[in-house]
Amino acid sequence: MSGCFRCNLTIPERQSHIAVKKGGKCARSDGSAEFIESNTRTTPGDMTERGCTYAGCRGVVGGPVKDVIQLTHGPVGCAFFSWGYRPHVADTDFHMKYTFISDMNETNIVFGGEKRLLQSIVEAAQEFPDAQGVFVYNTCSTALIGDDGRDVAKQAEALIGKPVVFFECEGFRGVSQSAGHHVGNETIFKHLVGSEEPVGDTSTAINIIGDYNIKNDLRTFEPLFEELGVRILTRFTGNVSVNDLKSMHRARLNVVHCQRSATYIAEMMHDKYGTPYIDVTLFGIQAMSAALRKVAAFFGLEAKAEEIIARELGRMQSQLDYYRHRLSGKRIFIYQGAPRAWHWIEMFRELGMETIAAATTFGHQDDYEKIFERIQEGGLVIDNPNVLELEEVLETYKPDLFVSGNKEKYVAYKLGVPFVNGHTYDTGPYAGFSGMLNFARDIDRALTSPVWKLLHTNARPVPEQLHALSDAT
Amino acid sequence: MRQVAFYGKGGIGKSTTQQNTAAALASLGNSLMVVGCDPKADCTRLLLRGKRQPSVLDALRDSPDDIQLAQVISEGYGHVKCVESGGPEPGVGCGGRGVITAIQTLEKLGAYENDLDYVFYDVLGDVVCGGFAMPIREGYAEEIYIVCSGEYMALFAANNISKGIRKFAERGYARLGGLVCNSRMVENEAEMVKEFARRLNTQMIHFIPRSRDVQRAEINKKTVIDYDSELPQANEYVLLATKIEENDQFTIPTPMNQDELEELMRDYGIID
Repeated sequence: MSGCFRCNLTIPERQSHIAVKKGGKCARSDGSAEFIESNTRTTPGDMTERGCTYAGCRGVVGGPVKDVIQLTHGPVGCAFFSWGYRPHVADTDFHMKYTFISDMNETNIVFGGEKRLLQSIVEAAQEFPDAQGVFVYNTCSTALIGDDGRDVAKQAEALIGKPVVFFECEGFRGVSQSAGHHVGNETIFKHLVGSEEPVGDTSTAINIIGDYNIKNDLRTFEPLFEELGVRILTRFTGNVSVNDLKSMHRARLNVVHCQRSATYIAEMMHDKYGTPYIDVTLFGIQAMSAALRKVAAFFGLEAKAEEIIARELGRMQSQLDYYRHRLSGKRIFIYQGAPRAWHWIEMFRELGMETIAAATTFGHQDDYEKIFERIQEGGLVIDNPNVLELEEVLETYKPDLFVSGNKEKYVAYKLGVPFVNGHTYDTGPYAGFSGMLNFARDIDRALTSPVWKLLHTNARPVPEQLHALSDAT
Repeated sequence: MRQVAFYGKGGIGKSTTQQNTAAALASLGNSLMVVGCDPKADCTRLLLRGKRQPSVLDALRDSPDDIQLAQVISEGYGHVKCVESGGPEPGVGCGGRGVITAIQTLEKLGAYENDLDYVFYDVLGDVVCGGFAMPIREGYAEEIYIVCSGEYMALFAANNISKGIRKFAERGYARLGGLVCNSRMVENEAEMVKEFARRLNTQMIHFIPRSRDVQRAEINKKTVIDYDSELPQANEYVLLATKIEENDQFTIPTPMNQDELEELMRDYGIID
């Protein structure tokens, strides 16, 4: 693998974002000795797949909170494209069923949208009296005209008697959705965390930080932590209520899973409340076991941890062997938002598969350090890849499997490459011990699907009566 | 149809000069439309003899799908068609976007299709954002007059406005037609503004002497010519209107830097 792309001949700036692992280190394709470039502005001409700050805040961090009215302050299009594409499920009927918008139109922009926003908040709160608060997300247009959303939130709070949190996540801030994660963390920390005391004993309380409960991921590992003897106080932000967020400051330990989008709040809690935090990966056998052991060590529950791990491994061993046998030797290309690109390299290895290429949309330097640590020698690493680069990887390196998201699914199918949706999962959950088997099953299903055999046969011949027509054109 | 925009420092007498000039042009037999591009909606008050009419944006807000041209255009003195773009209260919303929306709405409603000799745009003091430059974008005003006086701040503003005009002029359309000096009885005023104009690569098209008759007419909600066409001041506006009619000097301005501007003021004895 050279890391040089045909499609980048006209856009050489991309070369600093593409590298190969050589001698255990990052070797950039532009020949520079520097580390791979990341978290910088997208080069003009590069058809990036990045989202915006609003998407990162509304879609990732704020969206999963299950009992608040999720209200976008902006034009109607911003609401639809922020809603429903991430299955961050929860156990309330209200959650993910609705999305709210102040529906700013041209005259609202000219005359200001503050009154309309206040009206929208109050109206939504009246229509849904069971909602425990309102999250308001600012968009580009309302930020440009200078609507004072903070003040409106304050007024609304007084009127409805519930927290109204205003996120300053205007789409144009930052270089990718990553900035929106940061805004989401800071705003929730500043406005909610510490404003209420938790009920009950918190001497063994932990928070799961940075797990968004995609297709019920939490269900795979929560019972294991609870069995260990710790109490999960708050999940930031999967299947979580606004009250859980208010009292999360009383946890003894923060367990950080997504270390790109949520380390911010762990650090803020560390600085303000002295709460220590540990980084974990909750995918795969070794990583999940290590996470249980780390938490157990903190509370002195080591023996229990070993008991749980031994039992779980015993339970999954035969299925694991089955899949390992079928998947062994397969070569994978992973492209995720950021952390899952490095979370999964080791898990795939446990299933006998190698990651030949890894890419992220909005990873920062620390994400790439972890990728280079884990990926095999010669592995290709791409920051913020565009569709042309993805196609070229699939065509040139011919991975057996592409693990990516909804945007890339059909590119893979068209090129005849088996695909598993790592963003929102095919049939998840994929986390924990049991989720790993789901993941293995979905991979096996993708790889062995009979459809691939049909792809290379010729299309039906053109009917005779159409021959003249096709000759003429 | 000539499309003309008036700019100038806030409070310099821009709207007064614009309306008096419009009235004078109308009295010379021209058909005009005046489009007020100020959220305060006070650019047609004298022409309309104090009559208030809904602004384009008011009408758009009240009946976005059913707005009629007749709702927002009133005829004033000399059959001058008067329109106000309107806009938000101070401190909220986006006045600049308001100007864009209003002008686009007028276009859609066919306001420009009548047989007009002149369209006047009266734009608020400072061109603070893209919206307030809308009247001098391609397809709108090709001719710009800056109203100023011999005071430092007025010239400072005129110089700044010239920077904006130059940007648009370089794209190939709007041109500066000259400075209108609305006298504030500053020493050496005409000479200084003439020199300032020369350095800006333009002309002082007319020097309007200070007269209390302007105030008197304003209190009576009229332009001077409408109030009493025999007054000497009425003649000044007719002179200005005639000069505009005959003007053939349209240039790309060459704005000065701050030091040059201050030096000019010093040379003419205002700053010691």
